Amino acid sequence: MDAEDIELSDDEEEITAESVLKTLQNAWQNERLAPEILPHHNDMVECMLGQIQHMERNINKLPKTDLRSCIHKMELNRIKYIICNYLKTRLGKIEKYCIAIVNEEKQRIEAGTNYLTPSEFRYAQEYITNMESHLKNTILNHVPGNMQSFELNKMAIYPNFYCHVFLKANETINGIILEDLLGDQDEEIDIEEDSQHILQYKPIADLVKNGKVQLV
Amino acid sequence: MDPFEIEFIGENRIVSIIPNFSHDKIYLICGEFGPFRAGLPMNVPLWLAVMLKQKQKCRIVPPDWMDMEVLENIKEEEKRSRFFTKMPHEHYMVEAKLLLGAAAEDIPRASEVKTIIKDIWDIRMSKLRTSMDALMKSGGSYGRLDHLTMMEINSVKPLLPQAMDELHKIKMMTRTSASATLNNSTFTQSGSSQNI
Repeated sequence: MDAEDIELSDDEEEITAESVLKTLQNAWQNERLAPEILPHHNDMVECMLGQIQHMERNINKLPKTDLRSCIHKMELNRIKYIICNYLKTRLGKIEKYCIAIVNEEKQRIEAGTNYLTPSEFRYAQEYITNMESHLKNTILNHVPGNMQSFELNKMAIYPNFYCHVFLKANETINGIILEDLLGDQDEEIDIEEDSQHILQYKPIADLVKNGKVQLV
Repeated sequence: MDPFEIEFIGENRIVSIIPNFSHDKIYLICGEFGPFRAGLPMNVPLWLAVMLKQKQKCRIVPPDWMDMEVLENIKEEEKRSRFFTKMPHEHYMVEAKLLLGAAAEDIPRASEVKTIIKDIWDIRMSKLRTSMDALMKSGGSYGRLDHLTMMEINSVKPLLPQAMDELHKIKMMTRTSASATLNNSTFTQSGSSQNI
């Protein structure tokens, strides 16, 4: 009887808090493991924060000794950890690759495919401004005039797209092309659903972004 | 990722407990669980099971696979096969560690179970080291790793991916210098783009 109930609820494709949490957890995992910054999942974060607030209000109504209250608190702490760590990971990448990210993001904003949330973008821009003025105040302003020029783009650090990552395929994907550096025989591979691989990030970057593979 | 983060992810796995109290269904964000009926088995996420166990509010029902006979078979199979065999599930090690740590008294022959799981882990890790070695020696930039669990994959980070990254750099340099001998003018171009 129980099994039937579960099957029924699985068939309904509605967006539940449960599925949002699952998506968010996968996004967190991908963000932790991908070398570059990934498109943001702000809607998921906002939705989850709303759920947390709602839940916290309900917990406050419960008596302190109620078993439910500590179970709920534990769950909320777990979710908060995922959200915090997700946002922190993104900020870490934004700081590290700030110049590259802001340059690319400007083009993406024009195309309407921005990866950063508006506040993350503002953070990135301010970070660069602060870094620039810091470097000018501490060093550049005190060296001879001909050495004072500040070339921002020369300082850019880029994520390494050639690094190797582990992944699990969410669906079967055919024809991923692996570049052969020494010979000129590029190799083409197919990956089956649920299979796991280690390969270069570059050829699968788009598959991570559209959710066809999960980094592990 | 840190091992504790893999553990954190593994803690979402559903396990069976027998509560010693009764309570209505509880509606968590990750799903609804219950109703709790004293003495009747029910499913909860691993983190909740461990928490209730620590509060002495439940007994753990040992998972089907945490049984000496099953584990003996897995161990034999793992020894026999050249490849990695399929484990009971993705987070077998996390489940074993947490349940044996928090609820050893609920699991029959717990210390034997612990030893045999450790044996299986060791066999797999030694296989993993051998295949990593083979992969590097073949100069590969791609590998397939079916049936490896997340914790096992994580244990070879960052060593394996970084070794492959270095190999890639060496190949890039070989290619650059090869084309440089062919044509001196390309040397400066590709040489500067190499400067990471």
